[in-house]
Amino acid sequence: MADKTITVRAARFDPEHDKEPRLQSYEVPFYDESMVVLDALNHIKNHIDGSLSYRWSCRMGICGSCGMMVNGTPKLTCNAFLRDYWPRPVVVQPLNNFPLIRDLVIDMDDFMHKLKSIKPWIIRKQELPLGAGEHRQTNEQIDDFRQFSECINCMLCYAACPIYGLNEEFLGPAATALARRYNLDSRDEGLKDRLPVVAEAEGIWECSFVGECSVVCPKGVDPAKAIQQTKLDTTMRFVLPYGNRE
Amino acid sequence: MNAEHRPRTAIDHLFFWFMFANGGVITALLMPVHVLVQGILGPLGVVPVVDQHYDTYANVIGNPLVKLYLLVLIGFAFFHFAHRLRYLLADFGVPAAKSLPAQVIFYGGAVVVILVTIWILLTTIPISFG
Amino acid sequence: MPLNWWTRQRHYFLYMLREFTALPMALWLIWLLYEISGLRSGAHGYTPPRSGLFVAFSVVVLLFSLYHSYTFLKLAGVIMRIKVLDRQIPSRVIVFTMFGAWAVASAVIAFVLIWFAR
Repeated sequence: MADKTITVRAARFDPEHDKEPRLQSYEVPFYDESMVVLDALNHIKNHIDGSLSYRWSCRMGICGSCGMMVNGTPKLTCNAFLRDYWPRPVVVQPLNNFPLIRDLVIDMDDFMHKLKSIKPWIIRKQELPLGAGEHRQTNEQIDDFRQFSECINCMLCYAACPIYGLNEEFLGPAATALARRYNLDSRDEGLKDRLPVVAEAEGIWECSFVGECSVVCPKGVDPAKAIQQTKLDTTMRFVLPYGNRE
Repeated sequence: MNAEHRPRTAIDHLFFWFMFANGGVITALLMPVHVLVQGILGPLGVVPVVDQHYDTYANVIGNPLVKLYLLVLIGFAFFHFAHRLRYLLADFGVPAAKSLPAQVIFYGGAVVVILVTIWILLTTIPISFG
Repeated sequence: MPLNWWTRQRHYFLYMLREFTALPMALWLIWLLYEISGLRSGAHGYTPPRSGLFVAFSVVVLLFSLYHSYTFLKLAGVIMRIKVLDRQIPSRVIVFTMFGAWAVASAVIAFVLIWFAR
């Protein structure tokens, strides 16, 4: 078992020399069944080729920075076990649908702008004074939004979304799911700030419910559900009499 | 996104989606039985079906409730079809499918079908309560 | 984005199939309109649908139509959030109700189409 290896084909791209990304093969020792793709990349970086660039931080599925295409599917590389691919080679490529900076590193500016545009924080018309005590919530009130609050901004859903791939103006899955997370929070009063952003032409209406965002999400968030529910809610606000309009 | 860009709820898209969703539910609930009974069982003679004979069909089509039912079914259905096919075109890599002219063509097409439906229903077999 | 993106994965392909169901269903409803307008040529001019070609067409449309019904009603259960007495109704109950409504509606329409043929 000590000599078992796995072939990792990693995308390489140097903006100063390359026109197109290319794949480079590395033989990585596979000595432990619990090894993940990120371990293999770290082995390459430390022992074979120090020039390989990629993002990572926590290696435990919390920071959301090691998302890449593993054999064509967006995955957190810290959560993609080599044993699921061996003895076939693993192809590691940068996340789909984003501009490439170098090797496996993508430009996430667009997502960061979109994230900020939906104001992902609790908005109050008037802050309660500290003396008033804590904002209390029932279990049911927490259940309303808890699922959507699990998002770690890893952008796998954007890489999986063909609509975003075809039109980068689309607000996208994670941003809409987070907008819904705050809109459903009983402590929040920011619906009127977020709704125009979410319900713009390039917002929820762009989505045609492919549903792949929810399939690839490593945290079990269901962005596709968030988007469709937001469509229905927004429509009802306008269709029902005395709806709470902007 | 520039600083002057002021986001606004897109009422037009909201309306299109409302019609699409209603049309989706209506066609999901009603289409298969029409196709099965009128398109397969009737022509094969498995069961007697109203549209296999002029008298029975004319009798049913003359009923105002039936006319209203057909208008609702066909009207919502064609908004549903127009919406889906417009997005399908965009999925095939035609960004123009998201443009205003495309919206006019697709949803305008649905409106034309609705007008034709009204005309056909009003001019075929006068309304009778019998 | 390569234009054949939807051929590269099963899930994407099924999505495109779901969207495509609109086209055959639209053609069938246009045929229905044509059949109704045929009533204007009177008792002798009206030709009831009996051709094998039309049955084959309807079989194809029925498959697409069933796929549309199945996917749309199932997804409707995901979308709708209904609260009764502050409790969220589970989505499988909503999906079950949707499929129940489908069965009832189909039975009623089939009854009308067959009963009034006498």
